[in-house]
Amino acid sequence: MSLNKFTSDIIQDSLISIGEAMFETVQRTSMSPIIYEALDYAVGITDGEGRLLAQGNGVITFLAAMSLVVEETLDRFGKDSPLKEGDVVMANTPYVGGGTHLSDVAIITPVFYKGERVAFTVNKAHWTDIGGINPGSVSTVSTEIYQEGIHFPFVKIKEEGRLNDALVSMLEGNVRLPKSTLGDLFSGIAANDVGAERIIKLIEKYGLDAYRQAAREFIEYGERISLKELKKIPNGTYENSGWIENDGFGNGPFPLKLKIFISDDQMVCDFTGSHEQLKGPLNLSRTGLETAVRAAFKAITTPTLPANNGSFKHVKLVCPENTIVSAKSPAPISVYYEVFLAAIDLLLKTLGPIVPEKLPAGHFRSVCVTYISGIHPVTNNFYVQAEALSGGWGACAYHDGNRGQFSYAHGESYNIPAETRERKYGVLVEEYAFHNEGGGYGEYQGGNGQNLIFKVLSEEAYLTGAFLGYSIPTWGLKGGSEGSYNYFTVIRTDGVEEKYNIVTNVKLKKGDRIKLVTATGGGYGNPQDRPEEKVKSDLKNGYITKAQALKYYNVK
Amino acid sequence: MRVATDIGGTFTDLVFFEYGKNNEEITKIKVSKSDTIPGEFEKGIINAIKKIDLDLRDIDFFAHGTTLVINAITERKGSKTGLITTAGFRDVLEIARGTRPDLYNFNFKKEEPFVERYLRQEINERINYLGEIVTPLNETEVEPHLENFWEEGVQAIAICFLHGYKNPKHEKKLASYIREKYPQFEVIASHEVTREWREYERTSSTVLSAYVKPIATEYLDNLSSNLKKLNYEKSLYIMQSNGGITTVEDVKANPITLVESGPASGMLGGVVLGKAISKKNLLVLDIGGTTAKCSLIENGTPEIVTTYNIEKTKTQAGFPILTPVIDIVEIGNGGGSIAWLDDGGKMHVGPESAAANPGPASYGKGGTYFTTTDANVICNRIHKDYFLGGKLQPDKNSLKAAITPLCDALDMSEDEVAKGVIRVAKANMVNALKSVSVNKGHDPRDFSLVVIGGGGPLHGASLAEELQMPEVIVPLHAGVFSAFGMLMSDLRRDYIRTDVLLMSTENFPLITQIFKQMEREAIIAYERDDYQKEAITFEYHLDLRYESQEHSVKLQLADLDNLETNAIEDDFHQLHEKRYAFSMKGTKIEIVNYHLVAEVTVNKPVIAKVDKSSYTTDEACIAIEQVDFDEEGIHEAKFYHRDKLGPGMQIVGPAIIVEDATSTVVPPSYQVAIDDYANIIITRKQ
Repeated sequence: MSLNKFTSDIIQDSLISIGEAMFETVQRTSMSPIIYEALDYAVGITDGEGRLLAQGNGVITFLAAMSLVVEETLDRFGKDSPLKEGDVVMANTPYVGGGTHLSDVAIITPVFYKGERVAFTVNKAHWTDIGGINPGSVSTVSTEIYQEGIHFPFVKIKEEGRLNDALVSMLEGNVRLPKSTLGDLFSGIAANDVGAERIIKLIEKYGLDAYRQAAREFIEYGERISLKELKKIPNGTYENSGWIENDGFGNGPFPLKLKIFISDDQMVCDFTGSHEQLKGPLNLSRTGLETAVRAAFKAITTPTLPANNGSFKHVKLVCPENTIVSAKSPAPISVYYEVFLAAIDLLLKTLGPIVPEKLPAGHFRSVCVTYISGIHPVTNNFYVQAEALSGGWGACAYHDGNRGQFSYAHGESYNIPAETRERKYGVLVEEYAFHNEGGGYGEYQGGNGQNLIFKVLSEEAYLTGAFLGYSIPTWGLKGGSEGSYNYFTVIRTDGVEEKYNIVTNVKLKKGDRIKLVTATGGGYGNPQDRPEEKVKSDLKNGYITKAQALKYYNVK
Repeated sequence: MRVATDIGGTFTDLVFFEYGKNNEEITKIKVSKSDTIPGEFEKGIINAIKKIDLDLRDIDFFAHGTTLVINAITERKGSKTGLITTAGFRDVLEIARGTRPDLYNFNFKKEEPFVERYLRQEINERINYLGEIVTPLNETEVEPHLENFWEEGVQAIAICFLHGYKNPKHEKKLASYIREKYPQFEVIASHEVTREWREYERTSSTVLSAYVKPIATEYLDNLSSNLKKLNYEKSLYIMQSNGGITTVEDVKANPITLVESGPASGMLGGVVLGKAISKKNLLVLDIGGTTAKCSLIENGTPEIVTTYNIEKTKTQAGFPILTPVIDIVEIGNGGGSIAWLDDGGKMHVGPESAAANPGPASYGKGGTYFTTTDANVICNRIHKDYFLGGKLQPDKNSLKAAITPLCDALDMSEDEVAKGVIRVAKANMVNALKSVSVNKGHDPRDFSLVVIGGGGPLHGASLAEELQMPEVIVPLHAGVFSAFGMLMSDLRRDYIRTDVLLMSTENFPLITQIFKQMEREAIIAYERDDYQKEAITFEYHLDLRYESQEHSVKLQLADLDNLETNAIEDDFHQLHEKRYAFSMKGTKIEIVNYHLVAEVTVNKPVIAKVDKSSYTTDEACIAIEQVDFDEEGIHEAKFYHRDKLGPGMQIVGPAIIVEDATSTVVPPSYQVAIDDYANIIITRKQ
């Protein structure tokens, strides 16, 4: 081997570091809380043909998106209308090209070196509002995509360096928070520029050939290492099913079917038999399902290594069209993330018993998103508070489940502090704490879910939310018991409590309280094997009650 | 005479400066080392004093830096701490921000909080974001919690109430209640640590400050009384993370300000050096055994950030601390960093380190891993006769045993592997240097690179080459660089307050009022330490953002008397553009934080010029041997001894300059000039 090997290693590390710089630019400059706090975005660098070289993810829902959206861009701007230097493409199409829902907007910038296209810098981020029937662009009762916001089907926001003013005006005229939306757009374009500039510098330093060789070797590296890990997993066919509990109209539950075939050099995930696409917005596109499958594969092969196209060469998705997890236009899709989590949950539930040392028991399986909109009681500004809530994780072979942790679909996401929330949205937070509703007993105890209770101070406000996992609890593993449920309630000023799981636009009055509850994760191992001192410590800390300790652990 | 002491993990250093009374030039520098005694750190200092028979009556100024606080935190050796917080919020500390940097690891384990749940107690009270009292506090409600804390052996109590940054009335009331009635507890309230918003970050900061308060207090009291016994009458000054010193009483009140005390003084050494040689823009790189740290100094000032995160890694969220800290990026890439291949055959260096024990393979102390230092030995950049200050010869057998597995796996020769390790280590350092410069809109070509630590001078020239920096400075006395920093810094206190306000002319009175209020606090604090109001200089900074953004950028105001909206706005747009590649003129600008820096200048000696060497350049040459300069090839290089080099001397590469603690590599295309202060200045040949 020659010393050039190290040049490749160094170029690969430099690409990862460029990805980090892009990631930071988006975080520090965007204007949607879902981007800068939930880090609901990803950045990526691909080669000139769309093969992923490096990516920075705040959340896992965009794992496959970075390369797929560039591949789709290349398809659409083919020989007849090739991309030029200075072009920037914008896309939020859900059904193809790494799409999720309309709120997630991708910005794609081709990078040219001496007139030749050598890379793409790309990012995709969740903008707080993209128009549509409801503030926050999410509805649990939409029946067509047209109700969910404005659609940019791979259009040029910049053409040879010139901003497309007409498109900017269209955007401005169709969203509820135009300033913030434009801020997010410019932040996304800037992040790609930051990456592009550094990639060109990198090529100038090492030369185009070395850069291309490094890219090729990096992809081979991803392939080699994931294949090696795959070989360690027992061959076989494994089968399981899951459920989408509701289509937003009170119908359901609807089955998800999965068969996984594992051989030495391939893992095939076949979702054939899953229910056909739903009338309501609880649908996932095939391209979104691709991310779920890749994430599960990554979790059991190379969880800590940087991802590239090679990493996923040996995993294959099979699914017919028009199912709940492969929806086609014009299916509504704004609540895709709940279906995404159900798909991941099903994948892990199927794989868990095969590799129980690599995967935990079931977690709370919902993003637990709520949207509250209203007029701020002090500033009189219109606001949309969109937030995801953390919950309980399943226990695993090594430790108890995490308490108060965001869902698998998240990652480097941050909750909204009460202190910034109260100023921004004019609500008053009364409780942000773990509950002990029970469940998750095992040698390792599932992590507690939590409550978030806050009071509305606006004259009136509207609540939209979708919490799956309200009727099917989190699952235990290797003898651990089931956890609990997700749900939310509205407590009216007269004390009447209304319970919800999926709902759009509940009218709230000043003084009403909203109580959000996330589930406790599943337990791992037989509860009888849990050491008494651990049970006692949980009791002392109030993670479990006296009655639970006695009933499930036989500890007084 | 002045003394600076620095407690490290292994050694306690005492540096002692004599200087001319008239011109204040330093005439003599003496170093005394003693072993650090864990648990009784002050003894290390006393031993170092006794070792050189220092008479403390002659000392005008005694400064001290310590890793006590950061070690207590990372080793979990602080005191048992209880937390009192607003009803409904006891789990804020454990939920943290709910984040999981380790995205695809579903067996992820969140870090344990510093206070267990049964010691996190709630009390009825509530203040809203406007600072209005919604639910009044009845401080006697705390009684049962205190009783419980006492039974559980709690020593320190942290108090953090919601919106305490805006209105600290309840925190103040409860803190003084506990202090008066139960002096057995060390108590600290969040507003005494920070006045910035975000309850988790503030709670975490307060808890960590409480956690180290008992040991910091005990240590500082012991140190003060021991110094007094040795007849030291003047004040003892402590180095803080913000790049300034302060009094013992001030630190005891909020010891978390010491968290980066050690590295901060090293970076300040850079500032002092820069002043002496009139270089205002520096990148300082300190390569030790385990890590490399770097910091950017622009216009003679290091950047101060107020959000610091301890134990943050690529897979863990770490613990935030809201305290002013010199912005330092640290990576696991030092001389002892281990080279390894991952399952896919990719080479990595660090973050695992062979540290000082067993150390790199070439130390022959049982180290079985191949490290960056070992790679430099193989390339003969560290001369065998001057290895570890000449005390030891590199252990060839151990070196061979460590490198062979890498050679086999990569099918490469030893030379090639060694060069590869240096290249990968260098790329790590380049990325770290870029993250403090390029990523923040600075062009490295406008900066000089200052390299310190055992590993800095070995890599300086090639890093400068990569970043196209015009020169590398290897300071004289790199070993006492931190001490320089400590002795030459001023007293500094930072006051930060969150109060979100639109940036507009109508709000100027409010802005001025907030700063004036902080000025008054600063004056009171300094007067307590017997400093007059007139001696204080103030600097005003605003953390600004575009409306709707979350994160802000720090902008310094020229002064408070002539505020001008247009000027501030223009400056902000420019700063935003520089840092993030775009600006949004026409968008409203918000003030998030007000940051007041209050400094009192202390008399400082100046670094003296050095006499010319009594040797010629030829006489300073101690050997001529083959050295592998990687891309520049293998060359006959002259080895010089730094002690024999003096001002005005010139050396051309290829050369190596050896000294006890390090070696400076001068590649073939580089040259060296020794400046008037005996610093090594490396530049590219014309």
